[in-house]
Amino acid sequence: MEVDNEGETEMASLELEDDDDLTLEQVLEMMEVAWLNEKFAPEILPHKREIVELLLGQITYLEERLQQLPSTDFKKGIHQMEIDRLRYLLTSYLRLRLEKIETFHKQILLEEEKRADENEALYLSPKELEFAQEFEQDLEAHLAANMNFCPNWQESTATERIVQPNLNSMVFLKAKKDVEGIAIDDGKAESSDLIDLASGSQVLINYNNVASLVKNGDVHLI
Amino acid sequence: MFGEKAGNLIKELSRCENVLPPYNTDMVKEVCAEIKQLDDLNRSNGAIVANESGLAVNSNPLYPTLRIGVTALKRNVRCLIAYHHNRLRILRTMRWEFGSVLPADIKVNMSSEEVEWFCQYSRNLAKYMRSIGEDGLNLGLDLRPPKSLYIEVRCLVDYGKFELSDGTVLLLKKDSRHYLPRTECEELITKGIFQHIL
Amino acid sequence: MDPDEVEFWGEKSPIQIVPTFNSPAIYLIGGDVGPFRATIPCRVPLWVALSLKRQQYCKIIPPEWMDVDTLTELRRQEKAASSSFVKMPSEHYMVEAKLLLGGAADDVPRADEVKTIVKDIWDNRMAKLRSSMDSMIRNSSMYAAVDNLTLMEINSVRPILPHALNQLYRMKMVKRGLSQGSATLTHTRTAVSFTGS
Repeated sequence: MEVDNEGETEMASLELEDDDDLTLEQVLEMMEVAWLNEKFAPEILPHKREIVELLLGQITYLEERLQQLPSTDFKKGIHQMEIDRLRYLLTSYLRLRLEKIETFHKQILLEEEKRADENEALYLSPKELEFAQEFEQDLEAHLAANMNFCPNWQESTATERIVQPNLNSMVFLKAKKDVEGIAIDDGKAESSDLIDLASGSQVLINYNNVASLVKNGDVHLI
Repeated sequence: MFGEKAGNLIKELSRCENVLPPYNTDMVKEVCAEIKQLDDLNRSNGAIVANESGLAVNSNPLYPTLRIGVTALKRNVRCLIAYHHNRLRILRTMRWEFGSVLPADIKVNMSSEEVEWFCQYSRNLAKYMRSIGEDGLNLGLDLRPPKSLYIEVRCLVDYGKFELSDGTVLLLKKDSRHYLPRTECEELITKGIFQHIL
Repeated sequence: MDPDEVEFWGEKSPIQIVPTFNSPAIYLIGGDVGPFRATIPCRVPLWVALSLKRQQYCKIIPPEWMDVDTLTELRRQEKAASSSFVKMPSEHYMVEAKLLLGGAADDVPRADEVKTIVKDIWDNRMAKLRSSMDSMIRNSSMYAAVDNLTLMEINSVRPILPHALNQLYRMKMVKRGLSQGSATLTHTRTAVSFTGS
């Protein structure tokens, strides 16, 4: 069975920071890791907006090209399936983040403010930050509308109403390279043991001790 | 007993899991009244304790009453906040389940402030989704990993004409079955017009 | 994680197929597949293989380990290792087995026997996992090496194991006299329970 070659799409390579040429395949892998990390980390992680937008752009580009293929072309189905898979990955990732933003909005906004003050990169994308701020405003307005009879209700409950993620949650992780000196927090007051992880090994451990490793990519959650 | 009505509000909510019970205006009013009552009581007790400066504060016989009064007030306030807050959380889940237009049987259980909040939340969400990428991204679709390109669906109502993205027009009658691309069906499935036949 | 999400990851595993058609390569974002020459085997992701198989465009070649003799030996090894886990020939062995035995059973020799042996191995590993879980909770250990466990097996102990250990940790903290939970509201659910899975 011969299949027509028309309308074939080509893989684009692209430049991101540091003049490193990353292939689309690598970008997709980064997105997949970002999804896993966001799914299993108790706190919200630094955003990957660039990668998300890049992949979204790819989807748009591919969908336009696909429209030129006859619907009987089996390749169309394969491309469409991959687009569907990618769209699931992206929407799921963004939904996970939204859920965390809505649950921990007060805490997140406080932390973002601190990061802004210290000139550090924010964890939320600009649009996520806008969403979070408006969400907070709408929520406070709603509570105020219902509680305005009650004097001082905001101040007296301010700190109590900040919902924080449990950073001591246990998580499963996989090491992407050799990592040394991870502390195990046993809950006991004595100084914790240190362990080394060989690349590829998997462990169940307290998130707090590995948070920075997750964020810098030395390990990823599973 | 102080705090009992507030506790009942919370119990009512926890009994319902993810269903939204009617906004209990009466009970909320009663808790508010109790809060006001406690507030007045605390102020007057507080004034008395402050005046009796001869006595150390915590050996003043009125002190335990004052403590209880303050704690009860705080508890009532916390319960009220929790009640309203958690109702919003249920509404939030419903936004994801039903879209920006809620079924009438849920709306009837919402207070007017909740209707207002829901509107604002929907708007905020829609604004965020529109801002993703170049053309926006509907996060209410693709809720599950795709298993196949085509799925079988049954139409649950007389929907009428429906145009697919390739221009084909279908006539959707009640109980008609169709074999369609999954992406075209998702929205209608969410709206309850299609039923996915597994 | 839902079972279908675990499958989603497993579906990326590469597998060999024998196409019944000719076609130049398809340039997928995840990497090129093909070119396809009828009767010449080539490697594609599992989800592509299943899609092609559904339309009868290919025959699937089961992975090397998916054969009765190899699996029988694996089962024996697993039984012999009473307190540890054997490294599985594939990170996604259960997903691959399920999908291949479901969608391409005609391409798997002695499919019924394969199914039984894989199930035996799974059951054995799950039993060991359950008793490890039990002793972890009993000893309140806050760390475990889980090297040879596959994603689906790890997922089967969620959310209960991480959640139970979280609670134990909090109790230890309280015992130590730290008032970490009292002044601010700490979210008691673990991250994985957000989406209800």
